[in-house]
Parts: sequence; C-alpha cells; structure tokens
Amino acid sequence: MRTILVVDDEWAIAEVLEALLSDEGYRVIIANNGRQALDRMSEWPPDLIMLDFMMPIMDGKATLAALQENPRTAEIPVILMSSLPEETIAQRCTGYSVFLRKPFRIAAVLDVIEKALV
Amino acid sequence: MSDDRRIAKLPTGIAGFDIILEGGVLRGGIYIILGSPGAGKTILGNQLCFNHASRGGRALYVTLLAETHGRMLGHIGQLGFFDESLIPDGVSYLSAFRILETEGLKGLADALRREIRARKVDLLVVDGLISAEETAGTPREFKKFIHELQIQAELADCTMMLLTSAAVDQNFASAEHTMVDGLIELQARLRGRRSERELVVHKMRGSDFLRGVHSFQVTADGIAVQPRIEALLSEPSRPILVDGPRLSMGVEMFDEILGGGPLRRSTTLLMGAAGTGKSTAGLHFLGAGNDERSIYLSFDEAPAAIRLKASVLGLPVSRLFDEGVAEIVWRPSTEGVLDEVCAALLDQVRSGNVQRVFIDGINDFVQTTGDQSRLAQVLTALTNEFRALGVTTLLSIELDFNGIVPGQPLAGLPVLGLSPMAENIVLMRLAALGADVHRLIIPLKVRDSAFELKFRRYDITGRGLEIESDSVQADVVLSELVRQTGVIPAPFGSLAAAPSGDEA
Repeated sequence: MRTILVVDDEWAIAEVLEALLSDEGYRVIIANNGRQALDRMSEWPPDLIMLDFMMPIMDGKATLAALQENPRTAEIPVILMSSLPEETIAQRCTGYSVFLRKPFRIAAVLDVIEKALV
Repeated sequence: MSDDRRIAKLPTGIAGFDIILEGGVLRGGIYIILGSPGAGKTILGNQLCFNHASRGGRALYVTLLAETHGRMLGHIGQLGFFDESLIPDGVSYLSAFRILETEGLKGLADALRREIRARKVDLLVVDGLISAEETAGTPREFKKFIHELQIQAELADCTMMLLTSAAVDQNFASAEHTMVDGLIELQARLRGRRSERELVVHKMRGSDFLRGVHSFQVTADGIAVQPRIEALLSEPSRPILVDGPRLSMGVEMFDEILGGGPLRRSTTLLMGAAGTGKSTAGLHFLGAGNDERSIYLSFDEAPAAIRLKASVLGLPVSRLFDEGVAEIVWRPSTEGVLDEVCAALLDQVRSGNVQRVFIDGINDFVQTTGDQSRLAQVLTALTNEFRALGVTTLLSIELDFNGIVPGQPLAGLPVLGLSPMAENIVLMRLAALGADVHRLIIPLKVRDSAFELKFRRYDITGRGLEIESDSVQADVVLSELVRQTGVIPAPFGSLAAAPSGDEA
C-alpha cells in the first residue's frame, strides 16, 4: 500500500483528503505544518508528499529545502499545493514535482498523484 | 483548475429563481436554504434535483428526518417537475437518519463523501440540517462539519444545498451562515387573511443577485418564483426618449387639453372617483390606435362587460377587440401576485409588439401585493420599460376623495408619489350643484408642453366622453358652488401634496 503524507494547516482539508485518498486505497498520514511533517517522516518515509505552500511554523518553501537536504527524503515526489498561481510559486521555490492550484477537484488530485507516483 | 471553472454556474432550472441568482448558483458551492416548516423547502430541494437530472446531471437527496421517502414522494409526485423515469439514475434518495443517530456528524460526513463518489452525483440536497445541528455536541463541532462539507463540495465538484428549519439568525452571523457560499430564505407569511410566500437571498458569494423580497408560489408544476419587478427592471432594457410624435386619446378635446395629445412612449395618469369615466377614456385611447396592438389590463371588470360597454358606446375599440388587435387581460386582484401580473403583462407586450397599454385601476396593484409602499416603485419601473419598448401607456387610479366637496375642487388629492412616472396627469372629478352632478376634467401636468390649467365640463353620452371646447361652463359651476357654499375655492392651494412642479 502506497503511503501519502498530506501536509496542510487547514485541518479540514487534510482530513477530507485523508478520507478521500483512503477510499482510493492509499495509506494516509496527515500533518499540520512542515515541522510536524518532518517529524512524522522520520518514522516512516512516505511514497508521496502533498505539501501546502503557506503554513505557520514551517512553510512549504522551508519544508522543501529541508527535504532536499536530507538524502532519505530528497527523492520523494512532492505535490505542492497553493491558491497562488504557479508562476508566483515557481519564482519563490524549487524542488517540487507537480504544482496543484487550490481549490482543486478530487479528479485533478488523483490525476497528479498517479503521475507523481509513476 | 482554471478560474473559468470556478465561476461556472449551475442553473436551478426555475426561471424566476435563476433571474434572481443571475444564472444560478456556483458549481461546487455550498448553500443553506432556511425556512420554517411548510415554507416549501422540500419541494424546492426536490425540484432542484429533478431539474438538474433533466439536464443530464445526477442528484442525491439525503434526508436527516424521520419522514419516510415514500411519504415525501407521495406529495412530491403530484407536482409537474416530478419525473419517475429519472429515479434512480438521475435522482436518488438516501435516508441518513440512522447514520446520524449512530455515528454522529463524522459518520454522516463520511457517508456523504462515499455516496457522492459512488453515485457520481454533482448535486447534493441535505434535508433536515437542523437534525445535524442538534446532534453536534458543540457549535464548534457543527461548524467543523459544515467546513468539511464545504471542502467535499469543492473537491468533488458537487453543489450542495442544505435545507434547514432552524430559526433565522437575524444578523446571519451564525458560524454556518458565514461559512457557506449562499443563504436563501423561504418565508410564508400572513397579510390579513391571505398567505404569501416570499424568497430572500441574503448572501451569494462570487455573484451578484437581485436583492430584496421576491414572491413565489407553489403551483401544480412546482415552485414558481417571481423576481421583484422593480429590482428586475431597475434600468430599462434600452435607452428611453419620449419625443413624440403626438398620438390621439380618441377624443378631440382630450387631445387638446393635453397640448395636442400624449407623446408616443409617454405615460398618462388618469385620476378620478368612481363614475367619472376613466374606463371609458381608456377605451377611447385604445381605439385611437387604429391597428396598433393594444392591451386593456383590468382588475375589476370582466372582459365581457368591457366589450359590452365598448359596443354599446359604439367605440372604435369594439372592432379592435373583435379582430384581436386589442386584447383584454383580466386579472382579478383577489389572489394575484403583483410581480407575476407585471411579468406576464410585459411578456405579452414584448411578444405581441403591443403599442398601447391601458391599466384600469392601478389601486388594484396594491391588492396583489398588500404592500402599498411598493406601488410607486413598481409602476415607475414598469412604465419605464414600456417606454423602452415603445409603448404609450394610460393608467387610471380611483381616488376616494369624495369628489363632491363644495368649494374645494381639488381637496384631498393624494398622488402616492406617482407624479414622477407620468408625463401627463389628468384629474376627472364630480361637483354637485343643487340636484345636478357635473363632471369636470383638468390636466394637472403635461410635461414639455403648453397647456391650459383650467377645468372643463364633460359628459358621458351614448358616444362616450364628450368634453366641452372651453372652460366657460366649468367656471359657472365652480363659481356657483362658491356662491352657494360661501367657501372661497382654493383651486390649487390644496394641491400641496400633488405633483411636483415640473409641469410646463
């Protein structure tokens, strides 16, 4: 079973994604910010990370940098999520595999997950 | 996802409702429909589902109430929008009462998520949100549930309608009210002995909408919504310019007192007590249009009585009625709805290329709304649209000013703020002198035209209205009234409440 780590400070979004992706047969772990995500990954590195860009404590940019610095996590594909346009995000950070603009439809989520996990 | 998709709208399929919502609700949005029991929420919810399914969509109707679906469908099945062939592929039903009882809000949210995906529905109606609210241990828990539904709606591209009979928070500041994309309230209220149903959109995120209180009715076909006509027509459909040419009222002297006749696209307001001949004047007016299509809107007199009067007086309009050029629209004011009456009239004017309209007794508009404060606004909007459509309009209003007031020819004249909407205002009144009652007519306002501000005497004869060619006899009547009563007439001093001074 593939494991997906969903990192979003908006808890309801994380929970709904957890439920929807569980329905699709994924194992899902959720975290509220980058710091919490890194802590959870130390126990069990996921196959894919869905990472929100704007979060308190440790945002998406800092989390991406931390992931790339660690050889254990540098190769994990990351779907970066934001309500900002991709062009804006691309100017601010690198290291993600796919960008997903919020708000999104579940069909789009499943589509990018499938592509990212190839 | 593109921004275009975010603003895509989902029509409700209810014509008047979609006009109010400027095309419908946002796809993937979440809406609360509030209303006391019996207000029409369940009918509306079902109608939305069947309308959606008839367009190829898939809807799920979830009940959180103890009422059985069989019982509900027994009522809904009688209505025109119901189409059994759409069940279950287009419209399916699910009772989540037990799920809510046993698994709480979390279980309900999970069940809705699974059902939306499994059934591939893009419209979800949840009937009985109040049960979910009562199940919540705290307001915070309920707020979290609504938030979760909101995200589900967005993720699944499934528009959600939550129906609740919860008491309306006057400020709409409840958490769930602030969170959802729209708040729509259905009301059923009594005006006197009459029940009226009203629809109010309190909030509609990301979209403009017609504000205010709109009427709706539950008909054999389901809910029919009538947008508030003055909001709908706040601006005429095209620029208006009342610049002639002059038309005929069908009575030579009537044209003369109006400075040559009413201008095309103008509105003339005819005021007078019962028996002064306003309806007869209207018949003259329509008959003068020759082969122009015209409408006589009557609230009181039935078509047969109107046709008989025209025939007995030998008026030209009698032939036009026979030929279908002039049409009588009879809307008894007992149970009508003002906005529906206006909308239907406008439809007839537009589709029939109507050039002249006579509305006999605009007082009766009030009867169809129970709210007199709307009269001036509604008539202003309606007559502006008529102008835009090239229609010349005559309105009559019955004034209860007890026409026989010795020495005070214009006493007690109410105008109800109607002056601005009419280019011309004409008063028809009675004056008693001894055993005789005289009819007097005077133009009070003729916009952009010279006119004589004097009474003339007139009669209703076997040929209709006959107005004297000068004011000599009217002068005699009024002077004699002064002599007999000793009251000095204040012919226009009593017009303090009358039309503002933009007369020529």
